[in-house]
Amino acid sequence: MPAFLAAIRDAHPLLFDYALSPALKILVLLFAGILPAIAYLTLAERKILGYMQSRVGPNRVGPWGLLQPIADVAKLLVKEDVIPEQSVRWAFILAPCLVVGPALVIFAVIPIGPPAASPTGLNLFIADVNVALLYVIAVATIGVYGLILGGWASNSKFSLMGGLRSAAQMISYEVPQGLALVGPLILAGTLSLVGIVEAQRDAKVWYLFPQFIAFFIYVVSGVAESNRNPFDLPEAESELVAGFHTEYSGMRWALFFLGEYANMIVISAMATTLFLGGWLRPFPSVAWLHFLDFPFLPAGLVGVFWFVAKLTVFLFAYIWFRGTFPRYRFDQLMDLGWKWLIPLALLNLFFTGLVKLLVKG
Amino acid sequence: MSAVKRFFDRILLLDLFAGLGLTFKHLFREKVTVQYPEERWEPSNRFRGMFRLDADRCIKCTLCARDCPIDIIYIDWHQEANPETGKKEKVLDRFDIDVQRCMFCGLCEEACPTEPKSIWLTTKTYELATYDRWQNLYVDKHQLADWRVRPAYTDEEIR
Repeated sequence: MPAFLAAIRDAHPLLFDYALSPALKILVLLFAGILPAIAYLTLAERKILGYMQSRVGPNRVGPWGLLQPIADVAKLLVKEDVIPEQSVRWAFILAPCLVVGPALVIFAVIPIGPPAASPTGLNLFIADVNVALLYVIAVATIGVYGLILGGWASNSKFSLMGGLRSAAQMISYEVPQGLALVGPLILAGTLSLVGIVEAQRDAKVWYLFPQFIAFFIYVVSGVAESNRNPFDLPEAESELVAGFHTEYSGMRWALFFLGEYANMIVISAMATTLFLGGWLRPFPSVAWLHFLDFPFLPAGLVGVFWFVAKLTVFLFAYIWFRGTFPRYRFDQLMDLGWKWLIPLALLNLFFTGLVKLLVKG
Repeated sequence: MSAVKRFFDRILLLDLFAGLGLTFKHLFREKVTVQYPEERWEPSNRFRGMFRLDADRCIKCTLCARDCPIDIIYIDWHQEANPETGKKEKVLDRFDIDVQRCMFCGLCEEACPTEPKSIWLTTKTYELATYDRWQNLYVDKHQLADWRVRPAYTDEEIR
């Protein structure tokens, strides 16, 4: 930790703990972590999709197209920002912010590393809230309002249908998703995400294995929540032009996409934390795999490495799904949500609770 | 047996995983993209590209113009005594093709009675994009003798 920061911490511990340290972490996480990650996620998506279709993807801007995201952002920033005359102006402007804001705010509670383990002695998360899981579910749901609002405010039939589809989609994936999250919750006995990861460490097993049904349900409804293929119904280029963002252009349009990709990262990070043991190395209980902890590196760095590695697997799976599956009809999605996922999630919940009760009592 | 298999297919989503496996295999396949200005695709030998006319072989029979389904070949000729032999011979005044409307059907080549053909399309050329179609896609006999009067764009022009 730089000397002046340590001096401030010693002089004003409250100021440091509740204002300076979170602010610094947010700045670093946002500008060195999430925004570059989103930018290069778009490039990775185009590259991987291209490779899956026997193409090579972008390769003109910089070596292997590595500067493509920068060119894209520069283009989007200088493009004309059209607000349709017939639109509801305030809602039209508010909608993209409603999509991006919540997606970014969720990162506040996601632990990307163990507590008090970074080289500077800081916790590798912004806040360890004791109702973090509830917070995530609550905030993530706000993003859907952005879609519905944007679809309605555009005053265009395609946008409105996209927005309504996103409403229909939400009521079918939110319930199984919430029920799926209760599984790990029962096992861990805490709502704090740090607590859930530590519970997985103490239980010597990732919750992926006892909760594989919940994991499956979470991944499926997570894809639906971030409006990605095969559940990209609100967008649906082939039917609704571009769905809820048909009328958007320039940076406002880019904000919707920023939100979508941030949502992908959030859902992957949540899945990593809840089911894949967050910052823990694979098989934390197997002693001879200790070399995976890279003992010569600081513990915080190793934690971040494993977290990002697991996150990358999920993000690849997202792109993989997009390259493989055709889009569901929205009645099929509602069918899937209500007739399959909810009963499955309830069964999983019942058996998890039963086992927990029997083991305890 | 098949009912059991279908049941498990449905429960374990085997078809979805088969699809995922397919796309994953394609990830490592050889890519088909041709990096155009740097590498160019070589057409097959029977590819019908831009015309080539050999005016010396041409006997001015105008069969190609008559066979052309959209009448875009314009031929004018007159008779003139050859100063060396004194015989009267047909001399080509004009042999224009309006390539803008051409569909490259190759019927003109088929109609040509000379051996070998006086007009043919198997020149393996396909870079016909231009900035001015009346200048570059309305070709006369000189351009047809070597259509690369307007050559393919150079790398500098493309950038």
